[in-house]
Amino acid sequence: MIYEIRVGEKYKDLKGDALLHETNSSGLNGIKKILTSRVYRLEGITKNEAQILKDNLLCENITQVSSLNRPLITNASHVIEIGYMPGVMNPEVASIIKAAYDLGINLIAADSSIAYGLFGKVDKKIINEITQKLYNKTVERIITQKPKTFVIKGKTGKTSVINLREMNDDELNELSKDKLFLNLLEMKTIQEYFKKIKRDPTDCEIETIAQTWSEHSGHKTFKAKLLVDGKDKKPLIERLKQEALKHKNNIVSAFIDNSGVMDFYDGWAISGKGETHNSPSAIEPYGGAMTGSGGVFRDIVGTGQGGKTIISTDIFCLAKPNLPFLKLPPGCLHPRYVLKQVIKGVKDYGNRMGIPTNNGSIHFHDDFRAKPTVLVGAYGITPKKYAQKGKPKKEDIIVSIGGRIGRDGIHGATFSSGEMTERTITVNSQAVQIGNAIEEKRTFDAILEARDKNLIRAIQDCGGGGLSSAIGEMGQDTGVRVHLKNALLKYQGLSPWEIWLSESQERMVLAIPKSKLSKFKKVCKKYNVEISVLGNFDGSKKLQVYYGKEKVCVLDMKFLHHGLPQREMTATRPSITLSEAKDLDSSASLRMTLPKTQKEWIQILNKVLSHGNICSKEPIVRLYDHTVQGTSDLQPFSGELGDGPNDAAVIRPLLDKPYGMVVAHGINPILNRIDPYWGSIWAATEAISNYAAVGGDYKNASLINNYVWPFPDEESLWSLDKSVDAVCDFMKALKIPVISGKDSLSSTYRGHDGTFIKIPEVLCISVFGKIPDVTKTVSSDFKKSGSTILIVGKPDLENMGGSVYLDAVLNNRSMKQWSNIPNVDLKLLPKTLNTIYKGIQAGKILSCHDISEGGMITTIFEMCVGGDCGANISLDVILSKAKNLRSDYFLFNETAGCFIVEVENEKVAKKIFKNIPYFIVGKTEKEKNITVKQKDKTLFKERVEELRKVWQEPMTQIFS
Amino acid sequence: MKTKPKVLVLKADGTNCDEELAFAFKLAGGAPKIVHINDLRTKKEKLKEYNILAIPGGFSYGDDIVSGKILAVELTSFFSEELKKFIERKNTLTIGICNGFQVLVRTGILPFDTIGKMQATLTNNDSGHFECRWINLKIEPNSKCAFFNNETMKQFNNDYISLQVAHGEGKFFADNITINAIEKSNLVVLRYVDAEGKPTQNYPDNPNGSLNAIAGITDNSGRVLGLMPHPERFIFREQHPNWRRSQNLKPQGLPIFENMIKYIRSKKYE
Repeated sequence: MIYEIRVGEKYKDLKGDALLHETNSSGLNGIKKILTSRVYRLEGITKNEAQILKDNLLCENITQVSSLNRPLITNASHVIEIGYMPGVMNPEVASIIKAAYDLGINLIAADSSIAYGLFGKVDKKIINEITQKLYNKTVERIITQKPKTFVIKGKTGKTSVINLREMNDDELNELSKDKLFLNLLEMKTIQEYFKKIKRDPTDCEIETIAQTWSEHSGHKTFKAKLLVDGKDKKPLIERLKQEALKHKNNIVSAFIDNSGVMDFYDGWAISGKGETHNSPSAIEPYGGAMTGSGGVFRDIVGTGQGGKTIISTDIFCLAKPNLPFLKLPPGCLHPRYVLKQVIKGVKDYGNRMGIPTNNGSIHFHDDFRAKPTVLVGAYGITPKKYAQKGKPKKEDIIVSIGGRIGRDGIHGATFSSGEMTERTITVNSQAVQIGNAIEEKRTFDAILEARDKNLIRAIQDCGGGGLSSAIGEMGQDTGVRVHLKNALLKYQGLSPWEIWLSESQERMVLAIPKSKLSKFKKVCKKYNVEISVLGNFDGSKKLQVYYGKEKVCVLDMKFLHHGLPQREMTATRPSITLSEAKDLDSSASLRMTLPKTQKEWIQILNKVLSHGNICSKEPIVRLYDHTVQGTSDLQPFSGELGDGPNDAAVIRPLLDKPYGMVVAHGINPILNRIDPYWGSIWAATEAISNYAAVGGDYKNASLINNYVWPFPDEESLWSLDKSVDAVCDFMKALKIPVISGKDSLSSTYRGHDGTFIKIPEVLCISVFGKIPDVTKTVSSDFKKSGSTILIVGKPDLENMGGSVYLDAVLNNRSMKQWSNIPNVDLKLLPKTLNTIYKGIQAGKILSCHDISEGGMITTIFEMCVGGDCGANISLDVILSKAKNLRSDYFLFNETAGCFIVEVENEKVAKKIFKNIPYFIVGKTEKEKNITVKQKDKTLFKERVEELRKVWQEPMTQIFS
Repeated sequence: MKTKPKVLVLKADGTNCDEELAFAFKLAGGAPKIVHINDLRTKKEKLKEYNILAIPGGFSYGDDIVSGKILAVELTSFFSEELKKFIERKNTLTIGICNGFQVLVRTGILPFDTIGKMQATLTNNDSGHFECRWINLKIEPNSKCAFFNNETMKQFNNDYISLQVAHGEGKFFADNITINAIEKSNLVVLRYVDAEGKPTQNYPDNPNGSLNAIAGITDNSGRVLGLMPHPERFIFREQHPNWRRSQNLKPQGLPIFENMIKYIRSKKYE
């Protein structure tokens, strides 16, 4: 039988209070109090044992109360209990079973859930709305009665044969829809193959091909032959690689492994990877963000013979959190919910892994309402001798370690290659898993020890496509023989193709030399990591998968990996041209008048500082453990009160060495949409400027590019092509390479009612690199009063398109109206970056902060926040150079590649920056005001304290 | 003494501050070794062969149920006697940081060495969420702690030290009688203080709402210390977010480890 133990709080019920607060603030009245209790259900034990577990494991009498087999919350008007759906892994259960075992009690199974007792006046409507807040149908359920058992029984499903050879086009399309996501030509290529070998495929074979050929795994668009505006162009990936490999000084491994690897010092290498998890995050943001983090951490450990993950970054694009519910397309979740849940996911996974999350950003635009962008990055370090991608040899053993296989996580690769529709949330919910960080953590611990004992030949993760992709890819040169019956399962009842396809962030496949298997098993045992020996690399050049004696999949590796027909795709310039849009610009700018009074100026500044893209993200950053591992030498926030934001992370990966690793990123989806070429240049420039502002040496940097684009129709492919051109030109200008990247080309929403949304194009450029000495870096906070503030670089002051200023003033009007976005002088940029680097090395730059969204005045404001001081700004110098310049344009212009720098005095400025454009804008002051003057007139003067409040308010409101 | 004091840095599934903690001991002059609990269970490693037991931060076993619980159950189920003997030995020290403190409290070792019986707890922060920030701490001048007390204060020219907290369950809590007993026996070693150096209940200076602003306690022997803040994350000056603002800043976590090593060395001579 099942024993039920309920545990509640004696004093403060924080969960209940938080829910009550949220309920009241969303206008649901009538509830007076909410009490919660954990509900544990334990199977296969005696009453006495249940009592022991209650008293010694599940309840702490000091602060808690408990009950056995009876309700704990009594007299509530209504109780809602939420738990995971059967088959969705509840990470807590393994711990409960382990601890019970340590207490000498053998549990057969267990589950845990949470009960919420509502007190006061509650009607159906209130219950309904609260229930919606509490659970996500995709992975959770409402529990109304005690289950009979948690043991999931089932017979292994049969392998079925699909009559592919006789299908017509409609039938092929039908088979592909919602499941395989392949086009007709690809379906026909598969059909041809099976006609040639004179048999029909098994379900397992079809699924294996579909996942290998999915956009997610196959990157068909990036490999396609292109016809752009009538001209032939080389495939995108080829262009990127060609340019990158011209700058290979620091490259250890690029484009071939799970992350890009560059040289570090003393025989070490550092690696980096960015990955999106948009589709799962759209339907289950908590699990989606968790598995996104888990996935990208694993890309680092899955590089070479194993790397250690040392930094995590997170970058989100969402609709504004106050989006009216009416504007939400069917099947989509509200952005406020998504925001809170993705942050919770990143927090719960990253913190548990002990990986510092110390760089990130959030961007808001309502066109992300149909699908958010959730981009997680991870960086690592590994001995150089273990940094090259491993190649399995004939006779090597295939082992799988880590999390067991379940039904959750099936079809992730194919599903994420499809567009989002209102059906996605119901049809594809299987593809979402709940991450189990501790499973991943111990698996990593075991891998790193095995690596240092030289036991690993090659390693691959079980992300998109599960065993099928991991083993299929590792064995593509040698061929493999796999026995699925050896795989460890969460529960019985899976069909062979499900075992083969199911993904998990917490499972890795390794090639282990036969002679080292027993040593490897010992390491796994020490770390409580389960291992399955699945087969071997056999020299057959075939993928042969068995379940017992049954053949479930036999494919030629050559067909599987090289049979996918190269796509030929056409790209066409969108119908509205930039020059047409430019006409609109001038008329719009006519309507914009300069702020007239101090009050108007301050009002506008407040709007800019409280804009979602600008406002302080400190309440979020503090939820992440950003200094674990003890490596962080420039933290996300610093300054007198610890609230001044910095541009990049600087860590010391080897605690006993002064060597530094710098990590930063740049992204601006709004600019990409207006102008994919200059928008992309902006993103790359912003990334490298963030990197340089803290003391990074751009010559020793590597780039990572992530493209999140709408489904590549002709127009979206056109903009993608422009973006790739921009990245190539950027590499050429700075002579540094992109060494890793990823594309996700499914940012399109199609509703039943005809709603069609192209989610803004996102190019995120991440940058990481090395510096010899962490002590030669700077933070953004102003260091003292009376020092000189200057702008370094060449702001493109005419062009304000896509700026936060316009968004704030014009209230989010169509972006197309403002197509003149700031251009970056790519010739000047390397000189500027190098001068900043040298100034910091020489100790002459006291503080530095790059100009980005919100413009120069925002940058200076943030530096005042950190310094807890003021600044006196004069526009005279710049206005003497550019006569017709508008003062608002000057203050809010967002040209990337420009910096606000604090130096001792004008003499120092002259000495350091003599060879590049710069001009002095003012001085820091002890008095905590920001004053902006033009000639003798004060445009405005405001207390930093007031501005700080406005800037901190938006995220504080959501996160505390 | 030629040989370096041996430090056992305990590791279990989900432990994640082990490497920086081992490094801190190494920097302080110790000989640390990260030992997996399974190696203790199979007797490959023996606690009694070490001078210092250090339980690092992290999320042992995911902090499932409540933080540190599963590891505490494992320790009390298999190592009660060994732990008792180790702690009673006068030439040993024990430290639990963050998750390690949670484990020490849940085994009953802190505050009163009642292994198997909990007397106090570390529960959810009043804020209801995890928090990573720098806070100020006062070292109690009269605490019983054998290696972190009046003497230690002299190393700092300040009334308080800065360390980082990074936890979601750090509110020290016990009933009145227990709290009074802890105070009376001078077991409180560290308290959260405000800008004036006074113990505070105000968020965020007191990041979790701990009773009496308690951030760290010792046991009656003074040889066991549990604390929520992370001294191992401030062993270089550059680990402080404002090292660029102050030339004289010294790492304020390192002295804890140095004092522990010093203590062991002095006992070896005795």
